Formats: sequence, structure tokens, C-alpha cells
Amino acid sequence: MSTFDIPIGPQHPALPEPLLLKLEVEGESVVGVDFDVSYMHRGIEKLLETKTYFQGLPLVERICGICNAAHGLCYTLNVEKLYDKEIPSRAQYLRVVVEELSRIHSHLLWLGVAAFEIGFNTMFMYTWRDREHVMDMLEAITGNRVTTEYSQIGGVRRDISPELAEKLLKTMDVVEERTKYYIKVALTEPTIAKRTQGVGYLSPEDAKATCSVGPVIRASGIKFDVRADDPYAAHDEIPFNVITYDSCDVFGRIIVRAQELLECVNMIRYALKNLPSGPFRIKLPMKPNAGEALTRVEAPRGELLHYTLCEGTPKPYRYKVRTPTLANLGALRAMLTSKGRYVVNIGDVPIIYGSIDPCICCTARVQFIDVKKGKAWTWTLDEIRNMSKKVKA
Amino acid sequence: MSLESYLIEMLKVLVFPGFIFIFILALFYEWFDRKFYAKLQNRVGPLYAGPFGILQPLADLIKLLSKEDIVPKGVDRMLFTAAPLFSLTLSIFATLLLPIFSYKGILSFEGDLVITVVLLTFLCIITFFAGIASYNRFAIIGAERSFLQLIGYEIPLMISVVSVALNAHSLSIQNIVLSQKNMWYILGPNILGFIVFLFAAQAELERIPFDLPEAEQEIIAGWNIDYSGRRLAMFRLAKNIELVFLCGLAATLFLGGPLGPVVPGYEAIFFTIYFIIKSIFVLAILTIVRALFARLRIDQIVSFSWKYLLPLAIIQFLIVRLIV
Repeated sequence: MSTFDIPIGPQHPALPEPLLLKLEVEGESVVGVDFDVSYMHRGIEKLLETKTYFQGLPLVERICGICNAAHGLCYTLNVEKLYDKEIPSRAQYLRVVVEELSRIHSHLLWLGVAAFEIGFNTMFMYTWRDREHVMDMLEAITGNRVTTEYSQIGGVRRDISPELAEKLLKTMDVVEERTKYYIKVALTEPTIAKRTQGVGYLSPEDAKATCSVGPVIRASGIKFDVRADDPYAAHDEIPFNVITYDSCDVFGRIIVRAQELLECVNMIRYALKNLPSGPFRIKLPMKPNAGEALTRVEAPRGELLHYTLCEGTPKPYRYKVRTPTLANLGALRAMLTSKGRYVVNIGDVPIIYGSIDPCICCTARVQFIDVKKGKAWTWTLDEIRNMSKKVKA
Repeated sequence: MSLESYLIEMLKVLVFPGFIFIFILALFYEWFDRKFYAKLQNRVGPLYAGPFGILQPLADLIKLLSKEDIVPKGVDRMLFTAAPLFSLTLSIFATLLLPIFSYKGILSFEGDLVITVVLLTFLCIITFFAGIASYNRFAIIGAERSFLQLIGYEIPLMISVVSVALNAHSLSIQNIVLSQKNMWYILGPNILGFIVFLFAAQAELERIPFDLPEAEQEIIAGWNIDYSGRRLAMFRLAKNIELVFLCGLAATLFLGGPLGPVVPGYEAIFFTIYFIIKSIFVLAILTIVRALFARLRIDQIVSFSWKYLLPLAIIQFLIVRLIV
């Protein structure tokens, strides 16, 4: 049988973001894959260089709508490294609370999307309904549902009152109960098992070789979690387990994320019960010290990395963001071409792609690759200027 | 034939229980399906058009009819036009065989049961040609899938229908209905056949877990990706009429069709009401199945059909054979 190419994306109902998957298909099985993520270039890193560190925070939060808390936290932690000041531990605890809340909402959202990718619309509706509890709590704590901007340079923006903490604990009970129900559904529903077990196989060796991060690598049985390996905020004081699962497939990723929800619930409970007293914010000067800083944060999707180079001015000389999706793209290729063990069907592509919890718009960086000549290059600003001159002429 | 009886026959075909009645019923069933599905998923469903959104399917249909009808370059123009027409005509024709207001349908003859099964296969073949006609990559995969699926569910479906016919000693729908006067077949030996029939109907209607030919997340809209405007409206209406037909057929073969206690002299009204209630019961089961499962993969569907549905159908056949 001859093969033919099927383009999935950059516009496709299952992929709300601009990614092009070029599948080489023989009948129903995928024999080759190539992808392109560079449909969206927003110039955020360049824009950050034109703003002071304090002005940059709202922009950083808009890199990703879903893991905005992780981006905001990573940014503030990163900038705080440039000052030699101790951040109050109450602020660190509150940052953990909001970070974990946002992880709950992200994972619930992902569970719904994953169910939707395999055509299980009922579960999609249920998880998104329960996610609303978390969104309401985020709104009550931070004043905003999505771009919360809770973590600020020097602390957090608002304090949590005891009444609000009580309300949050009650919500956690609801989330815990619902999560247990979803874990039960995922474990017992036969069609979920059929569609996800053995699909999107990523061996632990491949997971390491492709430098994958987050729930993807943990579902391949490797304990890798920045919160445990390189604790930030209050993660060294709050006990939690790193969830792993050794099935190395999409099913494992569902279970890992679902069980992480329970861990998040316990962390929030611990943080609220052991909340230190004291100020929740300190004032820091506009100008940080000159130097470099690099911070890793465990975003819902995996390890998030921020880097900055400061020359002692209020504005960064360079700011660099590496999002978890970029780290997982190599793993995605390994999953889609997992030959020998199981040939990927076209029907599996959306759920495999979905299983890395992709966020393409946060990811896109410009680099040109010529596969035939085997070289990669980037264009300098002058080259682009010259090209635009040519177009004008 | 006198003019009067000729007129009555015409009214039967055109108004009740013919075209217009079936058209209304099809829209009503779609509404019920959508509303009930929404309730199962904790949503509101259709809400604004008419009371409880009951006019929403009609509104959708009118909207689609008024939309631009695009024929892409490179399609097989003749097939592309013919497929929706055939799909609609065949499904309407099939419903004329259903015994809605009496023991028999408008069309009734010895062996009409065979025609119903043939029509089901034809409807699937039209789906295939509709996909092939548009020469779209996704449409071709969808068409291919609908055929693969047919290979899976068609034989169990036929065997389950045949075991009903064997029970009634007849291939005519009228006799099958009459033979259920004492006991509906679902209560008797044909319960397995009913289950097989339901699964096959779900596959024929391309609903979750068997909605592969038009799986949105995988191949966008599958075989009907290139259809728009009037043509898409016709396909949608045909699908709804097919829904009425399959629910009605299940009600006829297993639930005694229009039978039930009646006030003498008002049989037609009672029969119609019983028929609608029974077929809506079947529809409710189909909707629950749709809400409960995830979509299967194509190889899983074929193996499911051959591993479970076919043996079940054969066991059903043997049970009936031993009893009769």
C-alpha cells in the first residue's frame, strides 16, 4: 500500500493551538511524523527587555494562560535571586497554595481534554464542571480567575484571611472526593483502558534521552520533580510524594496526573494549617544587583526554566524562558513513532499528542532547520531587515 | 381505485404517517437525543428555540439550508450531489416500512424485513461514496472506516434480525408484529438479539463509541468534511430519519411495535402513541450508551464485533432454533 501525508493542524478541532503534525500514513497506521511549532512568535522575550522587572510580571503571566501561576512564580523567584533579601516565609507558603491550586485546575482541565480526545465527552463535561470550584477559589484568593499575578517581587499581592482559608479547605474536600471518583472511572472504564493502555509508549531510556519533563517522564517511572529535586518557595518544608507510574503510556500519564491532584490537595491543606505568621510582602528597590539568575519551577506541565541577565539597571539585559512543552516535543516524536512495540493508529494521534499537555503558543521560538542538508540556523535582525527591504522593493 | 381512497393513500404517504410526520418525528428525536445527552452530562442542552429548546433542530436545519453551498474543486460533482439525495430518499423510504399506526407500514409485503436490512447496508454504502466523492484525505479515511465498521457489525445485525424472523415464521414485518401479541420478543428468547441489535444500530448511526467515520478529534468530520449548506442539511436530516428508523425497527422487532392495550375504534391513535413511546425508550438506551463510553479505535471495533457481537448473535440464533 502506498503512503500518503495527512496534515494535522495548524488548525484542527482537536488541537486548539497552532502545531502542524505531518503524518505519513499507510492505511490507518502512522509510519512517519514531522512537526512544526513555529506558527506563533510573540516576541515576549524581546518585549521584556524594554520593561523594568516590576513591569514585566504581567507580561510574563501572559506567556501561558493555564500555567500562569508557575510563570509568575518562576519570574519572581528568579528576580528575587538578584536581590540579597530574605522573602518572608508566609509569602512562600501562600505562593505554594496558589501554585498548587493552579496545578489542580490545570490537571483537571487536562483530564477533560484527554477524555475529549478519545471521544469521552461526558467526563470532559464533568471535570470542567469541578474545575469551576478551583477557579472560584483562585478568584477569591487573588481577585482573578486566570491571570492571577499573585506572586509579586518581594512576596505575594494579598494575604489570606482565616475565613478564606476555611473555605479553601472545604473546597479541597470537594476536589478530593471528585478526584477519587475520576481515578475510579479511569481505572475501571473499559473503553478508557482500551484507548490508552499501551498507546504512546515512551520507554524510560527514551524519556531520559529526549530530556522530557513533568508528568510525561514521571509516567515512565522516573522520579523527576523540581519541587523535590531543587525545592523552591516552601516546598522544602511541605511534605509530599513524587508520583510515578511505570506503564510508560498514556494511561500512566492519566493516573500520574490524577494522583498528583490528591497530592496537591494535601499540600494545600498542610500549607494552610501550618501557615507562618508575619508579613506577606517586603519592599524591594527598583534596581536589582548586577548578575545572572536561573530558576526552575515545576509547572503543571513539567519543568519550567527562566533565566535573566541583569546589568544593574531596572530592566533586564536578557530574559529567556524555556517552557515544558518544548522539552517534551522530543518525547512526542518518540511516542508517535514507537515502532516495533505498537504501530500508532491515526486515531491515537490526538490522545498521544494531548498526553504531553501541549501548550504550543508558549513554546514557539524561531529556528530554521534544513533537514536535507542537516543544518540549523537562526536569522539575525539585519537579515530579516534586508528581507523586508526586498519585499518592499 | 376510487378517487377518495386514492386521496387517502396520498395523504398517508405525504402527511401521516408519511413524509411530514416522519420529518417532525426526526427533529423531535434529535432534540430528545441532544437534551437527554446534555442532562446526562450535567449541561442544559438546547434551550432557547421554543419551549425547552424543542425547535432547535429545526432552527439548525433552516440555518444550514440557508448557508452557502460550496462544491470544492476536484470533487466528483455527480456523486457529490447524488449522495445526499440518495441518503435522504433511502432513509425516508425505509421509514415507510415501519408499522406506525397499524400492524403494517404504508408499504407492506411478504419479505419487507429483507428490504429493511438491505436499506441499512445501502445507507452505509452511500456514506462511503459520499466520502470518496469529495477526494479529501480525511474524507477518504472516514469512508474507509465506515466500510470497515460495516464489515464488523453487519453480520451480527442480520443474524439478530433473522432470529426474530425465525421466531415469527415470517419475513414480513406485519406477521412479526402480529406474532408478538402474546409476548414481546425482548421478554422472551430474543433478549440477546436485542442487545446485539442495539450495538449494531449504534454503529450504523455512527454514534459514540462507534463514531469513527466522523471522529471529530481524529479526522475532523470524516466523510462529510467537504459538505456544507443544503447538502450537509440533507445528510443531517437523513441521519435523524435513520435514527427514527432504527429505533422504530428495534421497537417493532423486539418490543411489539405498535401493540398495546387500546380503546376500540381509536387504534390508529393508540398505536402511534405506543410506537413513539417504545422507540423513544430504545433511543434513550442509545443515548445512555453514547454518554457512557469513549470512542473505540477501528481495529478494536472490528475485533469487538467479531469477538463478542457475532458469537452473541449466533448463540441467539441457536436458542431460537432450539425453541422453535
